[in-house]
Amino acid sequence: MAEIPAPTPAPLPARARARGLRRWFEPARIGQMSRGGSIVVYGLLVLWSAFVLFPFYWLAITSLKLPVDVFDGPSFLPWVDFTPNLHAWADLLDFSAKSPLAETLTPYRNSVIIAFCSTALCVLIGAMAAYALARIEYKPRLGNILVFVVLMVVTAVAVGVYGVDLWIAAAVGGALFVLLARSVGRYFKRSVGNADILFWMISQRILPPVVAVVPIYMMFQKVGMLDTHLAIILTYTVVNLPIVVWLMHDFFASIPIDLEESAQLDGASRLMTFFEIVVPLARAGLAATTLLVLILSWNEYLVALFLSTTQAQTLPILVAGMNGGEKGILWWTMAVVIIIMIIPVIAMALLLQRFISKGILLGAVKG
Amino acid sequence: MSEAGTMADDGAAIGGGRAHSRARRLSIEGLNKWFGSNHVVKDLSISVEPSEFLVLLGPSGCGKTTALRIIAGLEQADSGQVLLGDTDVTNELPKYRDIAMVFQSYALYPHKTVAENIGFPLKVRGLKPDERAEAVRDAAAQVHMEELLERYPRQLSGGQRQRVALARAIVRRPSAFLMDEPLSNLDAKLRGYMRAELKHMQHELGVTTVYVTHDQVEAMTLAHRVAIMDEGALQQIGTPREVYDNPANLFVAGFMGSPPMNFIRGSIENGRFESGGGVGVPLEGEGVGGGTAAVMGFRPEDAEVADPGTGLFDTTVYAAELTGDVTLVTVALGGDTSLAIKMPKEYDVDFDRNVAVRFPLERGFLFDAASGERLSARFAVPPGAA
Repeated sequence: MAEIPAPTPAPLPARARARGLRRWFEPARIGQMSRGGSIVVYGLLVLWSAFVLFPFYWLAITSLKLPVDVFDGPSFLPWVDFTPNLHAWADLLDFSAKSPLAETLTPYRNSVIIAFCSTALCVLIGAMAAYALARIEYKPRLGNILVFVVLMVVTAVAVGVYGVDLWIAAAVGGALFVLLARSVGRYFKRSVGNADILFWMISQRILPPVVAVVPIYMMFQKVGMLDTHLAIILTYTVVNLPIVVWLMHDFFASIPIDLEESAQLDGASRLMTFFEIVVPLARAGLAATTLLVLILSWNEYLVALFLSTTQAQTLPILVAGMNGGEKGILWWTMAVVIIIMIIPVIAMALLLQRFISKGILLGAVKG
Repeated sequence: MSEAGTMADDGAAIGGGRAHSRARRLSIEGLNKWFGSNHVVKDLSISVEPSEFLVLLGPSGCGKTTALRIIAGLEQADSGQVLLGDTDVTNELPKYRDIAMVFQSYALYPHKTVAENIGFPLKVRGLKPDERAEAVRDAAAQVHMEELLERYPRQLSGGQRQRVALARAIVRRPSAFLMDEPLSNLDAKLRGYMRAELKHMQHELGVTTVYVTHDQVEAMTLAHRVAIMDEGALQQIGTPREVYDNPANLFVAGFMGSPPMNFIRGSIENGRFESGGGVGVPLEGEGVGGGTAAVMGFRPEDAEVADPGTGLFDTTVYAAELTGDVTLVTVALGGDTSLAIKMPKEYDVDFDRNVAVRFPLERGFLFDAASGERLSARFAVPPGAA
């Protein structure tokens, strides 16, 4: 039975129309861009595109230049400044050992094997970890983690300083951990949650890779795996895992949980729910993440530099090494190698772009 | 472990047509659930007979959905049991419970076609594609969706999505259906239609059904029995007529009916119910001694508006609304009490007019104001009153 408030005294007049220069920045109709706005936006876009695309253009024309055109100072337009010549590209089809491009074949194959294998492994493991972190609540006790770290240090000291056999030390350490976690462990109150685990994972990327690369080198040296595909694949997988987990976690968390609960009631197991329901729905995220990890592995330089010498050498190492030799820098050959190095990544980007579409969840839960 | 829905079991049931024989009793006993310090389900015990349609009714946050999720196995009960037939499924994984559920959001798999959605429970059970296709066609025919099997959920209307969700639930002939507000995403007209269809289908299939809703009209129309919950506890369970005509407490009385029952707060003094605004009615029966705060209740359709001085009390008209089939008159009584009265649709009255309200005293209810429980005392009907 509340009182109805009295109407506001004087109605405000409608807003006055913009005049002068400001009219240029107002759209003529609803849903259109203003004239001034489109000039500014498209102007900036054209400028930026030119800036970004110029290196590619430069690569392309350099690959078509004769040595004399390269060394004669900058020339920009084919047929105007210089006559294009396919000599560097012709080398590509010349598989005789003398050709500088024949040397690229092995690194090319190495790059493909390493980048694709590590990406596949990384995305598979990372996606499953991310899904688990998005859907299962973990509560490891802080005390247990500390016990684990302490036991690991003790084991390392026992092996390194006192010369205890590695396997015996590891077995004793492991057994001690299980015993302590099951007995003393229950008295630890503080525990960490999924958000902490997630942050711990991404924190693995905070350390500059150059710090970790020497220990990694020594590890693989010890087990005799230097200059093998497997060593680089494993390293890339581990290095890129945090990125996959971090990115995929959000994609999985955004899938309505109803769908997974429904699948459970329909009789599906957790793994089946993951592969039948969750993965297809997260495929946009999976495609984007796959592409990112692929590019990171494809272009990686530092780890490859340490872990490979000849057998497992990758393309970035090859290109970086092309600046020497008795002939000087072969800019035209380098341009060709870089262009063919870019092609697989662009091809994958085009392939995966189909999946990076919106609206996949449309029709899932809204009425 | 035959409850676990082994492949042979389900295959036979799907091939064997009608599922009546598979309908089972579903009961929960002493169910408790806490979320942190929040006691959301309090000692809930309900038994649903085979083929019965039971509606769990209550306001949002009353624990009805949590109770349903415990039955489904999506939530773990802190104590209590869930029994399907004679089998204790309290700690069984959802996939082994032989229970199908329709979600409020329908939860259709957006990347699968209608046929794949309906066939998913069968695919999970390893049925061969041709057997699957036949069962899917049967289930789709039951919900009139056989024309749209190749569509994706995003290409369907809300009502069609609802049908697909239903078909996915019935395709494997489960022992029990759970439905979590399945009609709440539909517009009013479609909801009315789907309600009838749902009831027909449940009758046809004879599957034990637990249906959760906050809409008392849905509860009244669909249920064989309604279980009304509030703050995690069961308030009353009975047929829709029982809970409507004979509410056990203030909450049930106030929840059922649209508009709900009118309440007038007052007290019992010397065998009379007294309230401000000149309301005073003699009582009979036990506990009419006096001093207790009490609430008088009557239903809008039982009361009528009359000329001043001819009813139980006089008041003024606050608003009159024609809803189509009736005119709903709201009158003010005292500061914060407003009463709704249903009058015939021809009835018209000016705002602020002085009127009287009356209702047959045998249709009135009396509740304890403190506990909310129904009092055994009744209004004394004067001899010879109509």
